[in-house]
Amino acid sequence: MKLKLKNVFILIFCILILLSNINLLSLNAEPYISYNYDRWGDAVPSQAGYIVKRTVSGNDIGADSFDEPSDIFFDGDKFYVADTGNNRIVSIDSSLENVSEVYDSFKMSDGSLTTLEKPEGVFVSDDIIYIADTQNSRILIVNRDSEVISEITKPDDEIYDNNKTFLPKRVIADKAGNIYSVIENITTGCAMFSPEGKFKGFYGSNRVEPTFKVIRNHFMNIFMSDKKKERRTRTVPTGITGFDIKGDFIFTCTESSDVSADRVKKLNPSGKNIFADKDVVFGDYKPKYDTSYYNIHDSTICDIDISDSGNINCLDFSTGHIFQYDEECRLLFIVGTLAGQAGGFEKPSAVESAGENIYVLDSRKNNITVFTETSFGKTVHKAVELYNTGYYEEALDLWYEVLRRDGNYTYAYNGTSFALLRKGDYKNSMKYAKMAGNSELYNKAFEEYRSVFLKENSGKIFIAVTAGIVVTVLRKIRKRRKRRS
Amino acid sequence: MMDLTQRQWLKHAVTHIFEGFEDMRWKKSGSMKIALFILFMFFFAEIAHERLYGFQFYAVYDRTFNIIPYFIKTIVLFMAWTVGNWSVCTILDGEGTMKNIFIYSAYALVPYISQMYINTILSHFLVRDEYIFMQAVEIIGTLWTAILIFSAVKSVHQYTILKTFSALFLTVVSMFIMLALLVLFMALIQQIYIFISTVYMEIVYRIRA
Repeated sequence: MKLKLKNVFILIFCILILLSNINLLSLNAEPYISYNYDRWGDAVPSQAGYIVKRTVSGNDIGADSFDEPSDIFFDGDKFYVADTGNNRIVSIDSSLENVSEVYDSFKMSDGSLTTLEKPEGVFVSDDIIYIADTQNSRILIVNRDSEVISEITKPDDEIYDNNKTFLPKRVIADKAGNIYSVIENITTGCAMFSPEGKFKGFYGSNRVEPTFKVIRNHFMNIFMSDKKKERRTRTVPTGITGFDIKGDFIFTCTESSDVSADRVKKLNPSGKNIFADKDVVFGDYKPKYDTSYYNIHDSTICDIDISDSGNINCLDFSTGHIFQYDEECRLLFIVGTLAGQAGGFEKPSAVESAGENIYVLDSRKNNITVFTETSFGKTVHKAVELYNTGYYEEALDLWYEVLRRDGNYTYAYNGTSFALLRKGDYKNSMKYAKMAGNSELYNKAFEEYRSVFLKENSGKIFIAVTAGIVVTVLRKIRKRRKRRS
Repeated sequence: MMDLTQRQWLKHAVTHIFEGFEDMRWKKSGSMKIALFILFMFFFAEIAHERLYGFQFYAVYDRTFNIIPYFIKTIVLFMAWTVGNWSVCTILDGEGTMKNIFIYSAYALVPYISQMYINTILSHFLVRDEYIFMQAVEIIGTLWTAILIFSAVKSVHQYTILKTFSALFLTVVSMFIMLALLVLFMALIQQIYIFISTVYMEIVYRIRA
């Protein structure tokens, strides 16, 4: 009888566990399996660093629904959405609950009103709003009271080709008030303006990647007449499609998928790319084959955002992934996909981050998707921050925690190995370096391990070597004696 | 004079780079068993060199293992060399038989193979800064084998130096020709295979219908 009762309890307990498991499963709402790359560069499933929190549409916040919004910006206090189709800039409070202001008409200095025409970019700094008023071919600089401070139109400068249109798509301003703008169909970099609005030239143009076609065209051009040359496709660098500013550095990205050079750049104030000699592929390592649409997706990074802690979020337009890198360009997380459900996008157009959240603007779904850090993501971010600021040993416990949760997380093996190397645990450092596939780190750890080993066992080694020499010499002497006798 | 066992002959041939093979020919020595053993060791040396190398020098993709490339890089290449050399030198009045060419060439490979094993072992004890020692071993082993191959071909066919050079060159050319023929043959086989399989499918469909 007693036994039976026990069995019944066990049965109830099992059912409860099953039920709770089902609940846990249904919590995982993302329409994708999060993945990362292992040490060989193969995609493997991994723990999610971000999960979708909610989606916000225009109606949710009390403004009319968005129409093809194309840019989102957070200035630390409010969000600003460039609502392109509705010709307005919507500012929303930091919790994305209520609309705080809608900017659609502005007072010019002479008192007349002006409206926007398909604005595609917005940026705010020091209570000044910079708007890329694309179809009006101007950059508007306004204050919070909708009064126009100044207006930048097509520069009348010999550097700027007069036949080209002036369609600003994105705009940012640095601390000194210099204004940078991405302009459609301009491949020589982004246009740079002084705080007064004077055109100062182009900044940070991309390089032409020497592909086979480019080299062939160069040689063919030698034998061609000028007339024929005119009709050929010219080799021009890819244009910049998105950028962000963090401190003194401007980060740019280009949408072109068939080049790997200059996909993501970090430019210092003189326009030099700091990532130029980094051997990193931004986006997916291999093009992704989409079995439901029978086409291949190359990564096309259309927008970039730098988080407060310096992590780089790259929005991939063709696969809907957000690739998050740390400041040294090591891949941290891959978030998002193309799907109809929450957490998927149809036509992602801009990415922005604030604190632990990532915000993605979708210009076909007309909403903002909010991703928030998981506890795994939090651990990784903390560890990475410590690691990148030089606190290797302090990060060790966090790296162990990361590895306990996801044994495929390659970066954690690197971090652990480096921390152990600093601590002097060379043997385990070697072990972790091997698992990270980092032979350079292994080399360092092995060098230390070997020197310690030699120091400790120098006596034994010396004895063994002398004994070996004595034995061989004795043997030779004996052999010679045998031969003589 | 020169009453050596087969193993001592191997040592003699490898250490006396100019005279060794001449002596061997004169004494009609050389063992097929040892030659096959060397070839076998060559095969394993290639695998060890690729897969068992010290991790501080390079991280090998060890998720999959395919033995065919190693087989082709060693045994098939060596057989192609033997056949190529025999076919060229038969035309060029060489005296060597296929068996002798095989044995002598295998003997000549010994320094190169040893170099591979030595480097594989060394790579577990040295660090990247000391790579120069391994490089020295590699260069010495490779040059030694190059000279031995030259001297082997020269003595097995009883050639002059100039003729040996041309024979070596033509052997390499013949190896390329063999490769081209092989590719052609494969393409042809594929065509025939496709033809037969299509006919077969056609028949199957017709029977079913």
